[in-house]
Amino acid sequence: MATDEERWVREARQGDRTAFRRLVEVHARPLFALCSRITRDAAMAEDAVQEALLNAYRHLGDFDSRSSFKTWLHRIAVNAALEQIRRQGKFDYVENDDDEDNDFLERYMDETPSPRHHAQGEEIRRNIDRELERMTALERSAFLLRHVEGHSIDDISQTLSLNISACKQAIFRAVRKLRGALQPLR
Amino acid sequence: MQPITDNDLILYFYRDGLEKHRIDEIDDALLSSPSLRERYVALKRMLTTVDGAPVIEPDLEFTDRMWRKLAAQIDDAKPSRRTVHRRVFTPLRFAMAASVLLAIAAGIGYYVGRSNAPQQNAMAARVLDAYVADHLRATEGLLLTASNSDSTEVLAGNRELAQSLVQSNRLYALAAVRAGNTRLADFLRQLEPVLLDLANRPADASIQSIDGLRDYLRKTDLLFEVRATQARLDTADKHKI
Repeated sequence: MATDEERWVREARQGDRTAFRRLVEVHARPLFALCSRITRDAAMAEDAVQEALLNAYRHLGDFDSRSSFKTWLHRIAVNAALEQIRRQGKFDYVENDDDEDNDFLERYMDETPSPRHHAQGEEIRRNIDRELERMTALERSAFLLRHVEGHSIDDISQTLSLNISACKQAIFRAVRKLRGALQPLR
Repeated sequence: MQPITDNDLILYFYRDGLEKHRIDEIDDALLSSPSLRERYVALKRMLTTVDGAPVIEPDLEFTDRMWRKLAAQIDDAKPSRRTVHRRVFTPLRFAMAASVLLAIAAGIGYYVGRSNAPQQNAMAARVLDAYVADHLRATEGLLLTASNSDSTEVLAGNRELAQSLVQSNRLYALAAVRAGNTRLADFLRQLEPVLLDLANRPADASIQSIDGLRDYLRKTDLLFEVRATQARLDTADKHKI
């Protein structure tokens, strides 16, 4: 039996505006959360969501149900968010190599969180924010899609048009950069 | 057993991107090695802190505002026809050995063109569809990589892929003509200028040229058309089985 969403997609495909509105109502805010994590900017995220939903509407006929509608929409939204970053000239084309520290965990494993560490939750959050900013857009997107959205590496590589190995490397670099968030507290 | 790196532990944390036997090895090693366990705990601690990262919340009016903006746009949002601006692309530079796959494709077209047996024709057309769908999948990946990456290494690999796709694209277009599928042949011919541009892109391609490709893809809906044709061929293939 078709879900509401499947029905709305089918009806929207035939030009039913009300059905498309239902899809917008369900997905707009989660898409904003995704896009704002990638763009780090509310206005850019809103533009990305608008562009993604418009693109989705225009190409509903291409959605073939091989992936879920949400996954399909996320792919469009991630690319719309990256496009916003490019348009603002904020896209980091060069991946710096100063994070090629393959054994970064070794130096942290002996240190247990101190009471001070727990008291500094706000500072840690700010530091994480700073490290997310330091990542390239692709690293941040790959990491957030894996860690926050729970997408598989296979899906992420398709979304970001990277091969599996490049996708894994982007995630590894992102995680290595995160270690900086904890450094001042140790 | 191969040493367990931090990268292995990251993949293990997500239970993604590792073979089953490698996950089993790490399971066993975590039980037997206190130092590995400590490294893994350090990683988990680091990653769980990300969950507390600040999130930008949209205002309460966001969804209504979004719908109002979209409602004004969707009446005009008809799928656009793509036009190929050949002058955008650089001149050809033609080279690459044909692969066995291409010979097969050309053979299919030749066979379909000459054969009179409907059943055999249908079988050959199905094989052609399957090959072209794969070709379009590779083309889609090529276009996306070219427009999303500026890594010299990735772009060099992409250039080689584009060079081989130019060749296969021509042979598939020929095979489609022979099979009487003019729609597919026309579409493949439209792809050729883009593939040629990527096959001939210099190793030190400028950001401007990457932006140019990106703008071109956005304006022409080429990627969506590649995906749509690929999906149509996949579906047609399933229905013919």
